[in-house]
Amino acid sequence: MSFLTFAWDWLKTPQHWHGSDGIPIRLLQHLGYSGLSLLIATVVAVPIGLLIGHFGRGGFAAVNVANIGRAIPTLGLVILVAVLAGLKAVSWLVPLVVLAIPPILVNTYEGVAGVDPDLTDAARGMGMTRWQLLWKVEVPVAVPLIVLGLRTSAIFVVATATIAAYPGFGGLGRYIIDGLASNNYGEVAGGAAVIVVLALVVQAAFTGLRRLVVPKGLRLQARSSR
Amino acid sequence: MQWSWIPQNWTLIWQYTLDNAFLGLVAPLIGLAISIPVGVACVARRWIYPPVLSVANAVYAIPTLAVFVVLVPYTGLGNLTVIIALTLLSLCVLIPAVVDGLRGVPEPVRQAATAMGFTQVRRMVQVELPLAVPVIIAGLRVAVVSSISLASLGQLIGVSSFGYFFIDGLQRDFPTEIYAGFALTVVLAVVCDLLLVGTRTLLTPWARGRSRATGRSAARRAVTEA
Amino acid sequence: MITFETVTKRYPDGTVAVDSLNLDIPDGRIMVLVGPSGCGKTTTLRMINRLVEPTSGRILLDGANVADTDPSQLRRGIGYVIQQTGLFPHRTIEDNIATVPLLTGWKRGRATSRARELMDLVGLDPATMARRYPHQLSGGQQQRVGVARALAADPPVLLMDEPFSAVDPIVRAALQDELIRLQAELHKTVVLVTHDVEEAIKVGDLVAVFRPGGHLAQVDTPERLLGAPVDDYVRDFVGFDRGIRRLSFFAAAGLDLATDTVLPAGTAHADAIAAAKHAGEPWLLVVDADGRPLGWAAVAELEPGAAGAALTEVGLAPVGHTFRPDTDSLRAALDATILSRTERAVGVDATGRVIGTTSYERLRDAIRAAEDAAASDAARVQQTAGEAG
Repeated sequence: MSFLTFAWDWLKTPQHWHGSDGIPIRLLQHLGYSGLSLLIATVVAVPIGLLIGHFGRGGFAAVNVANIGRAIPTLGLVILVAVLAGLKAVSWLVPLVVLAIPPILVNTYEGVAGVDPDLTDAARGMGMTRWQLLWKVEVPVAVPLIVLGLRTSAIFVVATATIAAYPGFGGLGRYIIDGLASNNYGEVAGGAAVIVVLALVVQAAFTGLRRLVVPKGLRLQARSSR
Repeated sequence: MQWSWIPQNWTLIWQYTLDNAFLGLVAPLIGLAISIPVGVACVARRWIYPPVLSVANAVYAIPTLAVFVVLVPYTGLGNLTVIIALTLLSLCVLIPAVVDGLRGVPEPVRQAATAMGFTQVRRMVQVELPLAVPVIIAGLRVAVVSSISLASLGQLIGVSSFGYFFIDGLQRDFPTEIYAGFALTVVLAVVCDLLLVGTRTLLTPWARGRSRATGRSAARRAVTEA
Repeated sequence: MITFETVTKRYPDGTVAVDSLNLDIPDGRIMVLVGPSGCGKTTTLRMINRLVEPTSGRILLDGANVADTDPSQLRRGIGYVIQQTGLFPHRTIEDNIATVPLLTGWKRGRATSRARELMDLVGLDPATMARRYPHQLSGGQQQRVGVARALAADPPVLLMDEPFSAVDPIVRAALQDELIRLQAELHKTVVLVTHDVEEAIKVGDLVAVFRPGGHLAQVDTPERLLGAPVDDYVRDFVGFDRGIRRLSFFAAAGLDLATDTVLPAGTAHADAIAAAKHAGEPWLLVVDADGRPLGWAAVAELEPGAAGAALTEVGLAPVGHTFRPDTDSLRAALDATILSRTERAVGVDATGRVIGTTSYERLRDAIRAAEDAAASDAARVQQTAGEAG
């Protein structure tokens, strides 16, 4: 139980909750980096994913984008951008957005492209326009996968924001990096503990969102087919 | 970009390539060895799977660096910590892959095997697992590529990997090294990915004519849910 | 012999799939279990190879309770064919067929040559098909492989669950014919489940009609099922045109064919008119030197005065449909007669030579004779059963 002891001792200490290096500030920074990046990635990736999914083209490329996204070393990317652009806002924004786009893009594409062709057939037969088909049929059915993509992205983003601390940014990763540098395992453990809790909360939040947002009929169908 | 750096430091590059490859391949393989029996059990007793899946999803959400930190008091600042962390990550991807692959075996095939006199064990080994191979390999690809990329984080706790090039490059303000590390990671990941695709083709001669149909839906699920 | 002794299958939620079933399935025959959805026929079939276990009662295979044998061992001695074939996608056709032999320990060489033998038997060319994979075959071909696979280890019993329902009617008919042909060679004990009563009648030596709820309504030969359905349910189930369909089971060989109205083309009109008058028929069948039919001559159009004028010089009505008295049924003969312009059908042999002609009257006599024979057969069977019992 040594991890927990270290972490608990550090977290108990009131100073760690105040000041510019305090937990609340770092947490806010972390959430800020993560939230903004996720938002931008969503705004970029969802429309593209919807388009290529609807028109059924570029799927092969989309899947490979996800593979490549996974191959990119987060530490390398964060350091590279920091070295090239300095410690400006863009230096954490770019890596986080770049890593957040693939899961959203792929899942949105798969969500729309994976809609049962019989369904789109029936919709077209009823006289729906392309636009109606997209919004009334394809998007609602694709929503579970899209939210799944958002969840995966959120996880990637929170993890990358942790690493962004290495070249010198803020966020909860700061504790781990500084603690390792100064051999202060307490700080390292404490920071890690907060990160673990944050990660689990984010995971749970998106899982909950998915449940909320899935059209009821689909949820019942999935349950009965299990 | 100083190209001359590469041949000058070839031994170093090769050494780190071997180190990173070792970490990035051993972990998924251990994960595979564990996930097959666990996956088989989850399919045999349906009630085991939901809790296992929840735990896997939760563990997957935790940033790898934080996992290193949690493990360090128990497994030290060495290869073992990184391997365990990457194995846990691989399990999160591989257990669902094994379960999905097995569940994807068509029911008539399973029934016919039973009716012909296959015992449960024989049926699993000779019929169900072979048919699950495409989906399992899709999961293995994700695990391998992720592990190779995340292994570089090990350098932050002193474990030899491509992360060395990023950190050294940052400290010396030497972008060439960072580019090199970046490229090495992506190339190693892509090479291993292609090797796995080749393995899949070798193992599934029956799917060659229609690889588009079977491979895609299998890979789809592995890609979108990880 | 497969025997069901008061077998019941009740599911935990209360549904009774099979209710106190008593049924004997004789060796070397095709027994068809037929009935609507949910009548328990598939459940009954699957209790033979223990894919389903009965709630009560026993199933005996050659006197031994199937529950006493290890299930895997039992199943290796029973062939099983299902609608979706269940062929292993990851194995070649050859390996699929060789599955059970290999499972029971045959050497690979022997199993492979047995597989090729069976491919020939079911009408698939081993040279081109053996190394292919199931997805490369058509539905009909896949089903043939399924049958070959079931027969590979030469099991005495073959179970078939709606084997031909997933293919189109033309392929289905071909596969049914194939089964009949195979059975004539192999004499297996076949239990086949279908919801199609036509298939049951065509293929079955014995037909067991199930009622919803897992009860037997009637177990009989197809001919008796058509001729003497036991109640309204069976009557409705068997469907329309029972009388006509029943005629398929009566051989056309029983027909007394007319030969006196069959005349060669060179016959003079005067002789022809005389023959027609003697027979009391308005039509004469004109044949060539080989005995092959050319057409019908209307007696009314012949001129007695035209001596030497051959029959062929009169406009002939088309021959119409012919039938084979040696191989066809009375139903085929009746059908040919109905379709013929002259209300007479021509019976020919294998080479196409005329044997004789029918008419509605002759058919009526033949039908009556066949029904009398069938009735006395039934009575004899009843009596023997009564004496034995």
